[in-house]
Amino acid sequence: MMELNLSRVDYLQVGVTSQKSTKLFPGAVGKTQRIVVGDQDGLLQCLQMKKGDAQVIFKAVSPKGITRVELGGPVGGARERVFLSTGSEIKGFTKKGKNFLSFDTNLSEPIQSMFVEGADLFTCGNYVYNHYKDCKDTNYFLSADKISDVLCLPMEKNDDITPVLACQDRVLRVLQDAELLYEVEVPGPPVVLQLYGKEAGEEGNEILYGTSDGRVGLVQIGRFAPSHRWELPNEKRNGGVLSLDNFDITADGVLDLIVGRDDGLVEIYSYDEAEEPVQRFNHTLSESVTSVQGGCVATPGYDEIVCTTYAGWVSTLTSEPLIKERGPDTFSLTAEGKDKIVGLRQELDNLQVKVSSEREKYQQSAGSKTAISAVSGFNINDKFVLNREDASYTLSLELQLPIDNVLLQVSLELQLPIDNVLLQSDVPIDLLDVEKNSAVVSYSACNPEEGNYLLATYRCQANTTRLELKIRSIEGQYGTLQAYVTPRVQPKTCQVKQYNIKPLSLHQRTHVFDDNRPLNTVKLTGQFSLAEMHSWVSFCLPELPERTPPGETITFHFMSTFLDTLLECVYSKGEAVFRSDNISTISILKDVLTKEATKKKIRLDISYDINDESIAYTLNLIHPRLEYQLLLAKKVQLIDALKELQVHEEDLTFMSPEYRQILEEADALQAEFKRQPCHLERLYGMITDLYIDKFKFKGVNVKGKVPALLEVLDNYDLQTLVEFFNTSA
Amino acid sequence: MLVPIFNLKIHHKVNPRMVTVGKYDGKHPALTCATTAGKVLIHSPHTRGQRGGRVDTTKDQDINLLNINQQVSSVCAGSLNGKNDILAIGTQTNILAYDVNNNSDLFYKDCADGANCIVIGKLGTIIEPMVLIGGNCSLQGYNQDGNDIFWTVTGDNVCSLALVDFNAQGQNQLVVGSEDFDIRVFREDEIIAEMTETEAITSLCPMMDSRFGYALANGTVGVYDRSARYWRIKSKNQALTIHSFDIDSDGVAELITGWSNGKIDARSDRTGEVIFKDNFASAVAGIVQAEYRLDGTQQLLCVSTEGEIKAYNPAPAEMRGNLMDANLEQDTIRELSLRKQNLQMELKNYDENTKAGVLALQMQQTAAASGNKFSAEKPFPPGGELDQQAMGVIPASTQLQTTLTVNPGEEGKPPHVELFVGTTNDTIIRTVLLFAEGIFDGESHVVHPHPSILSNCLKCPIVPPKDLPVDLHIKAFVGYKSSGQYHVFELTRQLPRFSMYALCKPDIPEPKSSVTYQVNDRVQRVLLWINQSFLLQDDISCEGNLNVAFMSLRGSGPVIIQMETSGQVVIKTDDMDMAGDVLQAMASFLNIDDLQSTADFPEEMEKLRELLVKVDEFHVVRQKLTAEMADHSNLIRSMVVRAEDARLMGDMKNMRKGYLELYNLNRDLINGYKIRCSNHTELLASLKIVNQIIQKSGRLRVGKYKTQVISACRQAIKSNNVSSLFKIIKTGS
Repeated sequence: MMELNLSRVDYLQVGVTSQKSTKLFPGAVGKTQRIVVGDQDGLLQCLQMKKGDAQVIFKAVSPKGITRVELGGPVGGARERVFLSTGSEIKGFTKKGKNFLSFDTNLSEPIQSMFVEGADLFTCGNYVYNHYKDCKDTNYFLSADKISDVLCLPMEKNDDITPVLACQDRVLRVLQDAELLYEVEVPGPPVVLQLYGKEAGEEGNEILYGTSDGRVGLVQIGRFAPSHRWELPNEKRNGGVLSLDNFDITADGVLDLIVGRDDGLVEIYSYDEAEEPVQRFNHTLSESVTSVQGGCVATPGYDEIVCTTYAGWVSTLTSEPLIKERGPDTFSLTAEGKDKIVGLRQELDNLQVKVSSEREKYQQSAGSKTAISAVSGFNINDKFVLNREDASYTLSLELQLPIDNVLLQVSLELQLPIDNVLLQSDVPIDLLDVEKNSAVVSYSACNPEEGNYLLATYRCQANTTRLELKIRSIEGQYGTLQAYVTPRVQPKTCQVKQYNIKPLSLHQRTHVFDDNRPLNTVKLTGQFSLAEMHSWVSFCLPELPERTPPGETITFHFMSTFLDTLLECVYSKGEAVFRSDNISTISILKDVLTKEATKKKIRLDISYDINDESIAYTLNLIHPRLEYQLLLAKKVQLIDALKELQVHEEDLTFMSPEYRQILEEADALQAEFKRQPCHLERLYGMITDLYIDKFKFKGVNVKGKVPALLEVLDNYDLQTLVEFFNTSA
Repeated sequence: MLVPIFNLKIHHKVNPRMVTVGKYDGKHPALTCATTAGKVLIHSPHTRGQRGGRVDTTKDQDINLLNINQQVSSVCAGSLNGKNDILAIGTQTNILAYDVNNNSDLFYKDCADGANCIVIGKLGTIIEPMVLIGGNCSLQGYNQDGNDIFWTVTGDNVCSLALVDFNAQGQNQLVVGSEDFDIRVFREDEIIAEMTETEAITSLCPMMDSRFGYALANGTVGVYDRSARYWRIKSKNQALTIHSFDIDSDGVAELITGWSNGKIDARSDRTGEVIFKDNFASAVAGIVQAEYRLDGTQQLLCVSTEGEIKAYNPAPAEMRGNLMDANLEQDTIRELSLRKQNLQMELKNYDENTKAGVLALQMQQTAAASGNKFSAEKPFPPGGELDQQAMGVIPASTQLQTTLTVNPGEEGKPPHVELFVGTTNDTIIRTVLLFAEGIFDGESHVVHPHPSILSNCLKCPIVPPKDLPVDLHIKAFVGYKSSGQYHVFELTRQLPRFSMYALCKPDIPEPKSSVTYQVNDRVQRVLLWINQSFLLQDDISCEGNLNVAFMSLRGSGPVIIQMETSGQVVIKTDDMDMAGDVLQAMASFLNIDDLQSTADFPEEMEKLRELLVKVDEFHVVRQKLTAEMADHSNLIRSMVVRAEDARLMGDMKNMRKGYLELYNLNRDLINGYKIRCSNHTELLASLKIVNQIIQKSGRLRVGKYKTQVISACRQAIKSNNVSSLFKIIKTGS
């Protein structure tokens, strides 16, 4: 395959951008396309590139930030009209910049996502979906969980209007009118949807989705049921997907997949014979990529991928070779470049003068008794997600300005350069090293009595605007993690962000439950309302909607990312039932719920039903992992010695096949071992908890027997372990 | 983009920092690294080495292995005779100088202090080139006959050495980095400069002229020009190895750093700016340079711990120093735009501040009119747009006050230096971040009180572990209890050198020990020095004779400084270290070049006496054990023969017996070895303390007297003359 060679060029910088807020106008052959971009300062700009310089075709200002920019047009025709959502309003512009539509939806929540298809307008707030036909409200739907994106299958090929909502609870909801047609379960919380090609595949019903844990998939929305075509796992643990596009950048006649992620990675995949995507190219921008789109913007004949980052950089990865204009002499600049630099320098000097005088004024105000110093907040694009692969949390912070330092207690993204970040936590958690970030971390001694289990500062290198941190929590230990973020901008301020570490922090929503497992049950009855119970449950478990879902009885299913044990929560007014095959999960829930109820002075009657078989079942679930980890540790230990033998022996046939295999796989084994630090310790911890919890329900304290248990674990054998659990106490 | 000219794998692990290159036959360079299990590998693609002796065979024809049979701690190649290079290999107990070309040992010496690092070359006016070894607190130099013609002591375990023309006089000085965070420069055995860093100095390398590069255990690398630091940078990774090499062919050597995450970067020696970088899959073990292709150009050879070698030629001149494929135009535009954005943000901040100010003033006036109290906590009309924006607001007149005091401690609280931070109004201090080097575990310390006890002042305890002046960079987050955004106040305070000492009344019981010396200066000058160097509430003043007493907060008892108008100074303390610190600090303040003193430290001397007795005992035990071991190994040999004989003759009963005896003997031998090991560690510890005491007694003198004391002590120890040793420590000669 031909190698893709794309180079990065920056066009301009706008304000902080939201997801999907950059679009390219459709272009004609031999002509360049215009860019239209909206930012959170409310500015919409339509740009044409001329000789490397962005010229504004038209501008429009809205009082509120622009959350989406979409292009629309007649069904099947060219999409040449610009639609944008700002606050609760939708505005439309022609390609010349004439404002032909201003439509206030009068919704209480601001519009978060929007899609335009012909005369149909689809908008979503956090939970509410609305469908307008010719600006008349036609349909309405209340989603059970947060909606992050919406689109509608092309009407050319589909008779019905089929909108699809991407919802936080790991499903795509396919609607028909105001009714839910069906739900499509996807492997992670979907954040972005994109039609597959302009036509959404041959049958007009194929859509791509990207999840916040970094997966991409293609699903065919059938009439009655979906069918999953392929799914790209996120093995390298790259960032979450923020933007998707289809564009034939490889010029082989087949559309390629373009993925933009929140860690700044832009990837290009082309499809192999089996129509599965294969990575062809990647490039790392330093900030979250909020939009990607393929097209031809700067020079006719050279395709490029226009990317917009969170901090507002509109950049491109172009196939146009830059070397030719540069020549061998890298110090000479092109004429346009020179002009641009001179212009920028001039602008900077003017700004500098202005800033100095303002700074002086500000400092003088310190003498006044009545004056205040008010510094407005800066945007922080933060994300706190659970990674399924290694059961740890990633916190990412991004600013528009460089970060000075971060005092941790957790991850951030800002538009500002970060000076430092201070993290503080009142829960015992471990901070893991993230290779990508270059900030220097320093831990400070802290006193748990003062509510500090962790105090860490991240001093950032110059121009860092994004920081990613990894955190490992322990189930049952809960509290908050606070990040104090200081950007490198005068006057210096710092913002505090709080993140909850929930008691069952390693659980994840699923939509299936296996009733055949031996289950432990805890039943709570008392004078509580449904909303109260919901708030307690969402205090314990992640990924739950903030508002109480509709209905009298609510059911949620969870799976532990670490052990694959299940949890079912069923609650209604006055009664709540939790079932899990893991006794520790039940024990944690019981403890936390009682505590929460006591806080509200509500009396709870608790009855539980412990299934002794569940212990053996859970141990069996752990068994293959534990055995694998033990074996891995053993193998890794042998590698050095075996390698030494290898050096001295010409012929290795005398070794047992097992040893030879270890030698062959040495690198892979070591890499795997490195990837999951403390995995064994965590498993041991879980087994110990299981042991303590089992006997806690029987009213026996077995803390004194833990050393004996650890001894059994050291010479691990499933049968002995199960027996130990059964006999001791 | 600069790319490696060759890339090869040697399939051996390489120990970090143990890579060197030598021309063992005088012509062809051979890369040499220490590898696992006490072996040293020599990669010689140009000469096929012979076999036998220490040399072991391998599959790879280009690689020879030397069996050292001990954990190798350092390797270095260099020339002692001006012709071919020899290889010096250090272990924890020995030093081996090995002639690779002739496959023979040049010399093999015991060195009880270990050989943590080695350099080979000429030092100062000593004509012969030497193998210079840094061990536990000691420095030794051997000539090619294996005689130790150079010896001196230093403050702590040596972890790095370099020969640098520090004074630009055409002579090498020895730059020594040690575990006590100090870089010391020795002109032969005299210390001519001392720089304090923030961590153990793991690597040093000479650069051009009087410059040298250094790397610390906490991930810092930097460049010194003589005793002034040019630049430094800190990374979260560790710099394992540094080397200087002119990679961009501009005539000035760059500092090449190999990092623990496998990164290699070349930095300009003037600014520290990265001009080239590359990556390995594993940590970088060593960087050396050699004419490895015999084509007349020097190559930079980088070796990773997994045995991967990458070699780079210096960049051709037409690259004009642009080794990273950087697009200057794009980079400049990006940088300018970033600056523009930052300025615009700042401008926006001022703008919004003005707007908010107008609104708040109205609120203030209405509040005043209606008699309500106004607070900057809620300065805006409730429910308004600004109110919802969660701005960080404080009164503009807010000021931050800081004071440093000595807190002698109380029940449950160890003594410490207390930093008080407070605001001038009703704002609260959420958190205080202190950045300072060398006094905290990390580079910063955070005080983050429980939300329920927030107030407008905060006390931060600081316990500096060493007597050093430190700059405290204070960042205080100021706002209100309900704030989500705080103002950051930044300021810097200096902690004086002797901050962990509380002033007390002069009538406290006097310590038994003291050091007495004469200075040609006025009492007032010394008083000035005391006021500057100690943390005092108010400056001390005195008429006539000076008599000040302090109590150490680190528990080493009282310190009394007395000075008579005649210029005689007495420092009374039982802590010899402390006395040395005070004397050295005072001498440098008063610009004294040479200073002789009388030291009377009865307790310390008693300790030394005991130590020396102990050292003797250890030596005796060691000899006894060695003899026993030799006995046993003879016995074993005969027993094996006997047992095997029995087996061949089918006498199973005797064979069993023989092997049983052998087993028991083997066990004894192992036990003996264990005893020997612990004996050795104790011996090492004692020797280290002896070295430290000599070093301390040196610190009680300045300039040439210091050198005198140390070399005289060395002589006394060599000749085992204990009583003269005490006399030397006391009188200084």
